Amino acid sequence: MKHLSRAEFVDLIESAQTLPPERVRHLERCEGCRAEAEALGAMRAAALEDPAPEPSPLFWDHFSARVSERVRSESAPVAATRWFPPSFATWAAAGTVVVLLVTTAVWRTTLHAPAHRSPLPLAPTVASQIVEPVDDLETDEAWAVVREAAADLNWEDADEAGIAAHPGDVEDVALQLTAAERIELARLLDADLKRNGA
Amino acid sequence: MRPRHWQVTVTRDRTDTARPEIAPLADAADDRTLVAACLEGRRDAFDAIVERHQRQVYQLCYRFAGNHEDASDLAQDVFIRAYRGLHSFKGQAAFSTWLYRIGVNVCLNRMGSRAQKWTTLEIADQPDLRLERADARILRGERAAAVRAAIARLPKKQRAALILRVYHDLPHDEIARIVGTSVGAVKANFFHALANLKKLLNSKS
Repeated sequence: MKHLSRAEFVDLIESAQTLPPERVRHLERCEGCRAEAEALGAMRAAALEDPAPEPSPLFWDHFSARVSERVRSESAPVAATRWFPPSFATWAAAGTVVVLLVTTAVWRTTLHAPAHRSPLPLAPTVASQIVEPVDDLETDEAWAVVREAAADLNWEDADEAGIAAHPGDVEDVALQLTAAERIELARLLDADLKRNGA
Repeated sequence: MRPRHWQVTVTRDRTDTARPEIAPLADAADDRTLVAACLEGRRDAFDAIVERHQRQVYQLCYRFAGNHEDASDLAQDVFIRAYRGLHSFKGQAAFSTWLYRIGVNVCLNRMGSRAQKWTTLEIADQPDLRLERADARILRGERAAAVRAAIARLPKKQRAALILRVYHDLPHDEIARIVGTSVGAVKANFFHALANLKKLLNSKS
């Protein structure tokens, strides 16, 4: 014999009619459930005996004036753009950025020359002659394209459109590649790791 | 899809000339219209929102705080937070639900770990005290104080479920939207709140 659940007890003390007939029959036979329901009902009634607090009628004018004063010292709330669905232009710009980001990420894995590893410590004069891979985003042409495409896209729109970077995004992108693309990506990464001596 | 624009019409042919541009908003506009007007820079629309909801917000805060001063401060805080976050009200739920959610969060955060200082205010719908015997009145007051003290000791979610259900008479599904949980969880919290209330009151007596 299954006793009443917590939700059934709540339904019972609030309105006995909501219980299905078989549960009502159980209640008629089960003294434990009846006692529990009675105790819970008594607690609800005890809580209900404490009526709503009512401050002085003058309080409300004072209160609304106080809130109004505080509100006027705040900067005005601004209607958020996310009330409105992103426009087609936003989606188009967002899509372009995603494509460019993926393309650039793959392309950059082949961009840099392998880092030179010397078995001996280099003299300062030699070290200064080594040309480091270019990581300057300001001069990078690929990033310039991305910057230009994303110039009209603000962060909120990008986030709302779901194209802002989040943890796990790289894995998601990798999972969306075709088998051939994955093989190519693995080959490029492998070659890059080997070049860097990892 | 075109963006929605709320149209707020202000009439000036009323005899009340003290605040002619505010009264029509307060009387006729629904909450969503008032919110839209606020977002368009009309702060008087927020005054109308405050006037409309101040009683329920105050009473919610009083149930959590237990005294007028804290309840008043909490209620003010609720409205200021609502004003600051007005742009995040999406209109999917009723404005009162959204406001209750802010209220419960503010109260639980501020009052959660504080000991309550209960004081008694005049009570609405109070029975005629002249007809009530003094000893019965004292007994009723003591019982109410014991119940309040026991409610103050309930875990946060149980306290919120009990206050919203018993004192604000909100349906379980609306409470679920306010506290961000399922109807089943709300009923379970309400059940446990009443069961714990029984234990606390029995242990006291």
